[in-house]
Amino acid sequence: MSWVPRLFVRKRMEIDLDKELQFHFESQIADKVRSGIPESEARRLTRIEFGGIEQIKEDCRESRGTLWIESIVQDVRYGVRQLRKSPGFTFVAIVSLALGIGANTAIFTLLNAIMLRPLPVQNPGELLLFGNGIAQGSTESVPDGSTRLFSYSFFHDFRQKDTSFSGIAAVDSTQFATKASIGGAAYQTTHVNLVSGSYFSVLGVPAFLGRTIEESEDGAPGDGAIAVASYSWFQRHFNGDPSALGKVIRIQSHDYTLVGVAKPGFYGVTVGQSTDLWIPLSMEKAFSRPGWNGLGTKLFQSLYLIGRLKPGVTADQASAETNLLFKQIVRDYIGPQPSQKHLADIAHASIQLTRGGCGISFLGFAFSLPLKILMAIVALVLLIACANIANMLLARGVARTREVAMRMALGATRRRIVFQLLTESALLAFLGAAAGVALAWKASAMLLNMAIPGPDQVPLNLAPDFRVLAFTLGVTVLTALLFGALPAFRATDLEFTPALKDGRGSSSASSRGALTRSLIVGQVALSVLLLVVAGLFIRSLIHLYDVDTGFDKHNVFVFTLDSSTANLPHGPDEIRSVHLQEQIEDQVRAIPGVQSDSFAFFAFNDGGWGDQVLFQGIPRTPANGEPVSFNITGKGFYDAMGIPLIEGRVFNSEDRQNSPRVAIINQTMARHFFPNSSPIGHRFAIGETPDHPGEIEVIGVVKDAKYFTLNEGPQMAAYFPCTQNPGFYGNFLVRYAPGTNRQEIISRARHAITEINSNILVDNVSSLEEQVDRSIAMQSLIARISGFFGILAVLLACMGIYGLLSYSVARRTSELGIRLALGAQSHTLLWLVLRESILLLVLGLAVGIPIALSSTHILKSLLYQLSPLDPMAISVAIAAVALMMIAAAWLPARRATRVDPLQALRAE
Amino acid sequence: MKTDDRFDLPQGTLDLLIMRVVALGPIHGYAIAQRIQQMSREALQVQQGSLYPALHRLEYKKLLNSNWQPSETGREAKFYELTAKGRAHLKAETENWKRLTDVVSLILKGTLEGIS
Repeated sequence: MSWVPRLFVRKRMEIDLDKELQFHFESQIADKVRSGIPESEARRLTRIEFGGIEQIKEDCRESRGTLWIESIVQDVRYGVRQLRKSPGFTFVAIVSLALGIGANTAIFTLLNAIMLRPLPVQNPGELLLFGNGIAQGSTESVPDGSTRLFSYSFFHDFRQKDTSFSGIAAVDSTQFATKASIGGAAYQTTHVNLVSGSYFSVLGVPAFLGRTIEESEDGAPGDGAIAVASYSWFQRHFNGDPSALGKVIRIQSHDYTLVGVAKPGFYGVTVGQSTDLWIPLSMEKAFSRPGWNGLGTKLFQSLYLIGRLKPGVTADQASAETNLLFKQIVRDYIGPQPSQKHLADIAHASIQLTRGGCGISFLGFAFSLPLKILMAIVALVLLIACANIANMLLARGVARTREVAMRMALGATRRRIVFQLLTESALLAFLGAAAGVALAWKASAMLLNMAIPGPDQVPLNLAPDFRVLAFTLGVTVLTALLFGALPAFRATDLEFTPALKDGRGSSSASSRGALTRSLIVGQVALSVLLLVVAGLFIRSLIHLYDVDTGFDKHNVFVFTLDSSTANLPHGPDEIRSVHLQEQIEDQVRAIPGVQSDSFAFFAFNDGGWGDQVLFQGIPRTPANGEPVSFNITGKGFYDAMGIPLIEGRVFNSEDRQNSPRVAIINQTMARHFFPNSSPIGHRFAIGETPDHPGEIEVIGVVKDAKYFTLNEGPQMAAYFPCTQNPGFYGNFLVRYAPGTNRQEIISRARHAITEINSNILVDNVSSLEEQVDRSIAMQSLIARISGFFGILAVLLACMGIYGLLSYSVARRTSELGIRLALGAQSHTLLWLVLRESILLLVLGLAVGIPIALSSTHILKSLLYQLSPLDPMAISVAIAAVALMMIAAAWLPARRATRVDPLQALRAE
Repeated sequence: MKTDDRFDLPQGTLDLLIMRVVALGPIHGYAIAQRIQQMSREALQVQQGSLYPALHRLEYKKLLNSNWQPSETGREAKFYELTAKGRAHLKAETENWKRLTDVVSLILKGTLEGIS
């Protein structure tokens, strides 16, 4: 009989077994009676000969094999009954497991989505990325060092050679959020990525509908006015209607024909970016972006390259060959008479081939350490939760001694009971995991939004895949074993007679105590470690909040404007867009409550542009050879940002397009070039060896500020006026008087912009303060999470010590009563009970503090102006753990002093 | 309870004895125990604790079949009989056993110094 029907006929089999053995029993008695023994004596003898009838039955059941499935069903039922009997314990256990497993699953989900999940492409393992992908944008300098971006020319020339790759795809490293209109409808924000004709075929991404981009469409500039949509964009706009194919989509001011939809689930190769439309690289010129020179230039390097290895070729072979070809090809780009420096640069240049199957991930670069640390934190919390539950189970084990002894006396094997107790633990773990997974589902999206805040959720696929499920299952089983195994073995390690007599397992009582105590020592050690970590992160975050940004982040709006559909003329000499900006500045400044406003290339933490500069007559030093960060601003920028002028003047209406070129520099730049004098009136030029030395005159010095992040050191910065660097700059800063109606200013500013040019769209309005907060979102997330779990860890440890003491006070009631009756003072008793927990606390600290001291250096790179051995964080952590543990011990200890001697003695 | 002329069965032999007894015709558990005892001239006494798990194991391996029939006393008892598979198994195992005992006795033949 197979085991499935056997589950259902089990009852019948039990009856049969009973009947069969009963028959034997009766027959044996009958035989004895027949041989002349009186019936009562025969019955007694037979019973002795038979031995334990339950034992025989159990052996019979076992010899039928596949007993496990029956016993699991039985054990689960029994376990559910046991758990329902003590709802308090069950609740606490499940809640702590849900938090522990949930937190682990949530962090792992992020880790998986950012670092582990392969792209939904064919054989992702064969893909190699040229460079490590940690660069974005474009550069025109001769390759030097590890190269990450490549030119369109290089892509073509490299493909001509017979290489280790069966195909190479190129993709623009910058995906733009631009405006597109379908069949003349309103413009909507659309994420467009330029890709080579080989992109889809090399990746092995088929079309869901229509076709993908073909090689011939990525030929001569302007050749391939076609687009391939992502499945989700197609669903959003066409609702799955196949007649979408052939529709005309206007992107900025060019028309493209929609020829296909990529397969569902494919959003491009960059993790955390979601592409709506893919367009051939040949259309690059049709896109307007300030400062972009186009793909025609041989050293305009802006592409990522991804190659698919030929079968049988190793990554090492490919790397050697690629580097060789790379140097040959680039050598040809720098002309017949290259400078020594360029030749040296190329000699240093290299391409590191990295695994491309998981896509290009800045997020992975930025978040790998924080995520690993968070993972470690939540793993430790789960460990503490396990220790706590193990302690509770040990206590329950003692309470259940009699039950276990009874079952063993009735013939259950030790293995069977251990298994049953483990089933109970597994049941707890799985209930906790189920709640935890539900929690993680919400939490991982929330964490992502906290880590990378912004108006739009970062498009990351957080749906659990088999890796997340396997991880959670593994964690759950491991958890159940961690907290269940020791208590189960302890519970069955009994001396029978005393156990049955008074329900206390005498042999295990003392060793149980030792086990419980070491678990508590472990909990204290781990919680002090977690609190130290939390303290470090929180202190570091406070430092970041206290950083002098150099500007006043309060009461400033940052409007993000998009002019791509306004069809503005652009080009190095085109001043009209600057006039448009000035018009907007004037109109908005007239709104009551607005104090100042200005357009700018960058506000804070939104990218940058920089180069070396050289002043006339000033020798190069290591300090002044550092790159200078540039910005392009309107006249009102310094008032709007609240950056104080130190000397000279800011830009004014005299600084026209054709007037002498001017710049404002910051204090650090002034100090590096002019340590002892004023830089005003001096002239500099951009570049290492500028063509026109001294074309830009310094007219003012402003205070240093933070430009990219709060934790950057002082750096040189220079500002140029919009009028002398024409272009439409998307950041529009508006400073308003404190206490003004913010909504009113926003709506009036929007109105003013629309009135001046209705094609200029306001993408987003945020505040400078939000931008600053966003720049430290990760630090603040880590601080919050580590703080939360640090406190949770201490609370769990407190529960452990509270439980231990409550139990030992209850057990020692009679002893305490006798001591009281004999005249012990209550403070002596208090000390008697507290002494033990203080010892455990000290032991825990003695273990935990060295661990903390020797491991926090891992966090160094995440701490801002804080030593990983910060005495403040460490002492606060120790004090917090000590205080809370003593408070937890105090309650049961005080109960000990309130024992009524008479009652205590009577109870005995 | 053990006397000198009784001894423990080597591992696995009980199954063989049970099948041999069952091969004589449908028989219930109690009778199997008695029959083994008789046939061994009281040298072997099969304990219930080994008999029934063995019967259930053999039945689970489909070497035995069982059905409920009235016994000689009129009470319903569970009667076992060999299946075709059981019969083949018994035959093979009996051959094995014979070969084994022949070989073992060949080696053990003769007297040994130091053993009385």
